[in-house]
Amino acid sequence: MSFEDTADPTTDTESLADSPAAGLDDTTTRRGTGRAVIAARGIDVRYGDTQALSDITMDIPEGMVTALIGPSGCGKSTFLRCINRMNDLIDTCHVDGELRLYDKNVYDDDVDPVALRRKVGMVFQKPNPFPKSIHDNVAYGLNIQGYDGDVDARVEESLRAAALWDEVKGQLDESGLALSGGQQQRLCIARAIAPDPDVVLMDEPASALDPVATSKIEDLIDDLAEEYTVVIVTHNMQQAARISDKTAVFLTGGELVEFGDTDAIFENPDSERVENYITGKFG
Amino acid sequence: MARKGFQRQLVELRENVLYMSEIVLERMRTGLNALETKDESLANEVIEGDHEINELYLELEQNCIDLFALQQPVAGDLRFIAASFKIITDLERVADLATNLGDYTLEATRDMYPNVDIQGIGNAVIEMVESAMTAYAEEDVDACFEIDGRDDEVDDLCERASSIVVRDLIETEIDDGSSDEEIETLMTEVSRLLLTIRDLERVGDHAVNIAARTLYMVDNSDELIY
Repeated sequence: MSFEDTADPTTDTESLADSPAAGLDDTTTRRGTGRAVIAARGIDVRYGDTQALSDITMDIPEGMVTALIGPSGCGKSTFLRCINRMNDLIDTCHVDGELRLYDKNVYDDDVDPVALRRKVGMVFQKPNPFPKSIHDNVAYGLNIQGYDGDVDARVEESLRAAALWDEVKGQLDESGLALSGGQQQRLCIARAIAPDPDVVLMDEPASALDPVATSKIEDLIDDLAEEYTVVIVTHNMQQAARISDKTAVFLTGGELVEFGDTDAIFENPDSERVENYITGKFG
Repeated sequence: MARKGFQRQLVELRENVLYMSEIVLERMRTGLNALETKDESLANEVIEGDHEINELYLELEQNCIDLFALQQPVAGDLRFIAASFKIITDLERVADLATNLGDYTLEATRDMYPNVDIQGIGNAVIEMVESAMTAYAEEDVDACFEIDGRDDEVDDLCERASSIVVRDLIETEIDDGSSDEEIETLMTEVSRLLLTIRDLERVGDHAVNIAARTLYMVDNSDELIY
């Protein structure tokens, strides 16, 4: 079930955005403002009795690509799904700690998860366009939130931003399901950015795609970071190295072992455990 | 240990770089010996053997490129391959300089000028390369800094030697009665001696380069690079 299905078009989302958060350390990066758009403090996640994340504290910088890497079961996708409260959909999941989007704790009682998910869009591993036209896929979130602007213009803008417009502009009324896998994934990205979110979460967005389609997605992520904060989970460490500004390494036990500039992580990690993981000395 | 094939390739690369350094150092010793003894056969041995080192260099360079392309190394593995990639270039240049010593031997028309300790300088820079390769093999950071310090001493030795060559040979062996032919011959010898000193000094520089890349490999530090 996708979060749009329960959307409330009357929800005011402005309280979740447009306010600065505590600044990050002054690190040299190729872009971004340096301030934190997401600030996690002591995040613990359990699925029933199983600890999935343990005491995660990190600041995700605005306007950059942050990659979450680590072996299977390390909790990186769980953390991603904490950011837009997708874990709320799992009955046994229990989250402790504070996770701020700008200055608002997204786990505060007064936060509407549906409104949150318009500010924090998500793209999944497998392309999941709705069984609707290309146009309506992109317009879906806009219509639900009661967007009062020019929907068609916003659809075009989103498809252009997702590097798909030139390929589909003559077939906007055709089904999104008729597109190739790579095009479907870019359609999903267009759908995610149409409501103009602050953050785009991506959970292995290219893992089901061939190398050419993967390259297009990677180029697109680079472009998206000019406008949005992107957080991506990937099992492909070379992909993380290619496309991200910051990398967070989660290891077994749901522990965030190291978080820093991507070039530093891949050239000279501080942690021997991270060194052993990224060099493939253990899985 | 995962990626066993890759780990085995890294071990082989290290062994091959060390093997290349042994050959290069042997060529340097032979070149220095040829210079001292004016032994043309030794000089030719060094000159003719250079292609073997060039081929080894190209082979190891390709090995490094393959590892970059196919294994996409990161962290310590990346720094090891990157450092090795640079170090084999320095070793190949040292071999070229050894070849120069062979050329100078064949071109020489007189014995090496006794007031200039070419052998002492030569042995010093050979020891620097040996130490640098030991530091690479043993990942010895302290030795890298020690080698860098020795280079200053070698530079001083070379500067003094060059002064002696210019001052002594030109001032003492040229007088009003010297013929043009004598002067031209002497100037050729002076040039050859200065080039010899310069080449040996450059071998020391390459030793420092190897130490610098080793320091980067071990500690991710660029402190000795340039």
